[in-house]
Amino acid sequence: MRIAAVAMNTFREAVRDKVLYVLLFFAGATILGSKALGWVSVGQDEKIIIDISLAATSLFGVLIAVFVGTSLVYKEIDKRTIYTILSRPMWRYEFVLGKYLGLAMLIGVVTLVMAAMAAAYIAVMGGHVGLTYLQAVLLIYCQLLLVTALSVLLSSLTSPILGAMIVFSCYVLGHATGIMINMPPRFDGTFVKSAFETAYYVIPNLSHFNIRAEAANGATVPGTYVLWTMAYGAAYTALLLVLAAFSFENKDV
Amino acid sequence: MYAIETRGLAKIYRGRIGRPAAPSLDALDLTVGSNEIFGFLGQNGAGKTTTIKVLCGLIRQTRGTAAVCGIDVRRREARQSLGYLPENPYFYEYLTPRETINFYGQIGGLGAKERERQWGSISELLDLREIAGQRVRGFSKGMRQRLGFAVALVGDPAVLILDEPMSGLDPLGRRRIRELMLHLRTQGKTVFFSSHVLGDVEQICDRVAILSKGRLVVQGRVDELLSRRVTHVEVIASGLPETVDSEIAATAVSSRNSEEGRHFVLPDLARANDAVRRVHAAGASLVEFSPVRESLEDYFLRLQERKP
Ligand SMILES: Nc1ncnc2c1ncn2[C@@H]1O[C@H](COP(=O)(O)OP(=O)(O)OP(=O)(O)O)[C@@H](O)[C@H]1O
Ligand SMILES: [Mg+2]
Repeated sequence: MRIAAVAMNTFREAVRDKVLYVLLFFAGATILGSKALGWVSVGQDEKIIIDISLAATSLFGVLIAVFVGTSLVYKEIDKRTIYTILSRPMWRYEFVLGKYLGLAMLIGVVTLVMAAMAAAYIAVMGGHVGLTYLQAVLLIYCQLLLVTALSVLLSSLTSPILGAMIVFSCYVLGHATGIMINMPPRFDGTFVKSAFETAYYVIPNLSHFNIRAEAANGATVPGTYVLWTMAYGAAYTALLLVLAAFSFENKDV
Repeated sequence: MYAIETRGLAKIYRGRIGRPAAPSLDALDLTVGSNEIFGFLGQNGAGKTTTIKVLCGLIRQTRGTAAVCGIDVRRREARQSLGYLPENPYFYEYLTPRETINFYGQIGGLGAKERERQWGSISELLDLREIAGQRVRGFSKGMRQRLGFAVALVGDPAVLILDEPMSGLDPLGRRRIRELMLHLRTQGKTVFFSSHVLGDVEQICDRVAILSKGRLVVQGRVDELLSRRVTHVEVIASGLPETVDSEIAATAVSSRNSEEGRHFVLPDLARANDAVRRVHAAGASLVEFSPVRESLEDYFLRLQERKP
C-alpha cells in the first residue's frame, strides 16, 4: 500500500516530465530513420529495421534508467521532499522499493510503446514480427530492470553525475565481458588483469540479454534460455535492491 | 508519560575524514508534557533543527535516547503519533494540494474514506479549498507553509513538531499560525515548535527551552522564567511637593515631566514601593505604578552573554 503510493507517485512525476517525451520522440525518429539505412536490399530491409528498433528500444530504455534512476533518491534528499515522507510511519526500504517500482513501471510502459511502434512500422513495411521478437523485448526489459536497480542503489549513495558514470561503465563492461577475461598475455600478473578479472565475476554479463541477431534473422531461441536469463537478471536485481535498502537504512537525510 | 522526552541526546555530524567534528548537539535533556505548547528557542546554528530531525527519525543521534509518546524515535511506531513541518517545507511541485494531502494519507496508511474525511477537515482549517486544484509549483511562501501545516496534520497525530513555523511569514500569516497552534491545544494536541522570534513564543507557549551552541541553557514555564526579573518600575505621581520630588528623584534612574505628572523610573520594586509611600505621605496622588518585566528577548540575550 505505502510502496504502491510511492511507486504511483514516482510514475506520475515521470509522466508529467517533458524530458520523457523528448526521449520518446528521438526513439521514434530512430526507428523510422532505420528505413533510410535499410536500403541495402529488399530482403535485408526487415532484418535491419528489427535490429535497429530493438537496439533503439534498449538504448533509450538505458538512458531513462540511468538519467532518471541515478537522481531518483538523490533528488528527494536534495530537494528535501524526503523529510515529510520519511517522518511518516513507513519503513525506509518501502520508500526505496516504491521509487524503484515506479521507475520500473515507467520503463515498462516506454519499452512497450517503443516495441509496439516498431512492430507496427514493420507491419506497414510488409514484414511481420515473431515470437523471438517478443522474447527479445522481454529480455531487454529484464536488462533495464537490472540497470535501474543499480542506478537506484547509486542514487542513494552518490551524486547523479558520478552515479551515471559508474552505471554507464558497468553497462559497457557488462556487454564486453569477454575482453575482461581474455586480457592480452602482457598484462599477466599485473593489477589491471586482476582488477578486470574481479570485475568479470562481479559485473553481470549483459550480453546474455541480447538476442537481437536471432530476432532479426527469425531464428528460434529456446524458452529455457529466456527463463534462465530472466532468473539471472532477477537475482542480480534483487541483490542490488537489498543493497540499496541497506545503504539507505541508517543514512542521515 | 511525556509527549517528547530526550536523555543525554547528542549528535555529531560526520565531518571531513580525519577531522573530528564538534557536537552540534550535546547532552540534551528535554521533557515536553502532553497537551503543551512548547517553544524551542535558540540562535542560528544552535541545534534546533538537528534535535527536530532526530525526533522525526531523519537522522540518527550519536549518543543518548529520544522518545515520542514513550516510543524510541529509532522505531517506526514512534512516527505514528507525530506530524512534522520542516523548516522550509518542500513538496512535489507537480502535485496539487489535494493530491499532496491524498499522497501523505496513503503513505500514512489511511483508507480512501478516511483520506476524504481528513481532506475535508484539514482543507477547511487551513483554507486550502480555493487553491485545491493548483500545482504547488506556483505557490508563495505563505501558501507552502499552509500546505506544510496541512501535511503535518494528516493522520491526526497527537504530537506536532514544527521547525520555525512562522519564519518568512507576514504579520497576518504569523497570527494565523499562532491561532492554529492554540486551536490545536484545545484539541488535546501537543505542539513543539522552534523559533528565534521571541515575541511569538512569549505569547502562546506554556513552556520553553533555550538552546545555545548545542547545549540546553534553560527550560521552564514562560511565566516563571519571566518573573525572575523586573527590570524597572515606572511610577507617575501628580501634585508632589518640591522636596519629596527631589527625594524620589535621588533614588530613581531617571525622572521627567509628563502630562499626567512627574514620571519616575525606579530600578527595583523595593525602591518603587518606598517612593509610593513618600507620595502618599506627602498627600500627593499616585497616577501609575507599573513594574516592567524583562521580555523573553532580553532574558534570552542575557543568557547568551553569560555563555562563553
Ligand atoms: N548535515 C550537516 N552536516 C554537518 N553539520 C551540520 C549539518 N546540519 C547542521 N550542521 C551543523 O550543526 C549545527 C546546528 O545546526 P542546526 O541546523 O540544528 O541549527 P538551528 O538551530 O536549526 O539553526 P537555524 O536557526 O539557523 O535553523 C550548526 O553548527 C550546523 O553547522
Ligand atoms: Mg533550523
